[in-house]
Amino acid sequence: MIPLIGLLVGIVLGLAFEPSIPQALQPYLPIAIVAAMDALFGAFRAYLEGTFTDRVFVVSFISNVLIAAAIVYVGDQIGVGSQLATGVVVVLGIRIFTNAAAIRRALFRA
Amino acid sequence: MPQRFGGPCSVPDPSKPGAAVRRARRRLVSLRRAQHRLAEPAGLPELHGGIAENHEGDARAGAADQDVPTVDDAASVEPAASGVGKLRRAFLHPGKGQVIAAAILLLVGMAGVMQIKINTADATYSGARREDLIQLLDGLGAQSRRLESEIAELEQTRTSLKSGADSGRTARDAVRKQVQDLSILAGTVPAQGLGIRMRISDPGGRVNAEVLLDAVEELRDAGAEVIEINDTVRIVASSWFGQDGQGGLLVDGASVTRPITIEAIGDPHALEEAAQFRGGIVSEIEGPRISGHVQIEKPDPVAIDSLHATNENQYARPASAAPTPR
Repeated sequence: MIPLIGLLVGIVLGLAFEPSIPQALQPYLPIAIVAAMDALFGAFRAYLEGTFTDRVFVVSFISNVLIAAAIVYVGDQIGVGSQLATGVVVVLGIRIFTNAAAIRRALFRA
Repeated sequence: MPQRFGGPCSVPDPSKPGAAVRRARRRLVSLRRAQHRLAEPAGLPELHGGIAENHEGDARAGAADQDVPTVDDAASVEPAASGVGKLRRAFLHPGKGQVIAAAILLLVGMAGVMQIKINTADATYSGARREDLIQLLDGLGAQSRRLESEIAELEQTRTSLKSGADSGRTARDAVRKQVQDLSILAGTVPAQGLGIRMRISDPGGRVNAEVLLDAVEELRDAGAEVIEINDTVRIVASSWFGQDGQGGLLVDGASVTRPITIEAIGDPHALEEAAQFRGGIVSEIEGPRISGHVQIEKPDPVAIDSLHATNENQYARPASAAPTPR
């Protein structure tokens, strides 16, 4: 309930105030969002499995986002930015799918 | 179960008895799960490979809390009632974890909206990498070079067409001027300009066709361009002078009444001199043989309105195409 409200409030805030992030960080925002989605799905799965801890959640969220952005940043510096970004997105996408599968099994037993 | 309190984040908060109760309930559920699994030891082996790697990541969020770590693989096949019930409980009894999740979801929601905005605002370039941009720039540079060469080509074409049109216009102007000159010469258009008007009064009626022809020829010698007699007869190349039976003068078939007025366009000074030099037309008319009187004035401009009606040539044709006027 509260997380849903939080998500809605976030969307509304983003729509209403149109915050802008620095130009230099813009290429890393999509990667960070994918990493955040991965962390959220993982947390939901852990919650359904009864292994959720908010501290681990927060730490894993922040570290996932930062590491994903940092990988792409380093890739940009050494000239393989787009390839590394693709790799990060593929890995995170696989994890999101496995997490979603676990959530599905936990919820619907199917 | 004392070992589960050894986890760094699971020390029960004495001020929150509700949390302790929930934790105990969760324990109970996981114990039940373990029991379940022991009851069916061969349970669903195909799931093992599929989900095993999940637990490297965030699915392990609560690993420190887990009293039976080997339970992982079976966790996903827990009864549906358990997962749905958890959700329902979470809806009804929100806890601290939910607030944190809400905060993080807020951040994610905002970031997602920002990203979508950026994407829709300028999907083409703002997110592009440097090498992509360089490639784009290269492409645009090549395209602009191509277009510039095309422009140069087209400009050259335009210049040549323009010069062609210019020479065409020059030719047309020359032709028009020639037509004007020839029309004046042929007497088919009115003319005006500097010149003289010569009035010949001849009380004795002794000015005959020869004297008139002399006068016209003197004027022509002096450069008269257009000559008219009595405001009615235009003198052209084919004009003729004659006399009818009663001593009346005829020019081009029209009778000329006295006094005779000759108008000529040309250099007025030269025309006047040509008429008045000793032995010229004036001295001849004012001489004892005719004893008439000649009066010369120089109006400005001399206007000559009478026209000569041209006849279509019946036999003569141009021998070749009209020469290209230069």
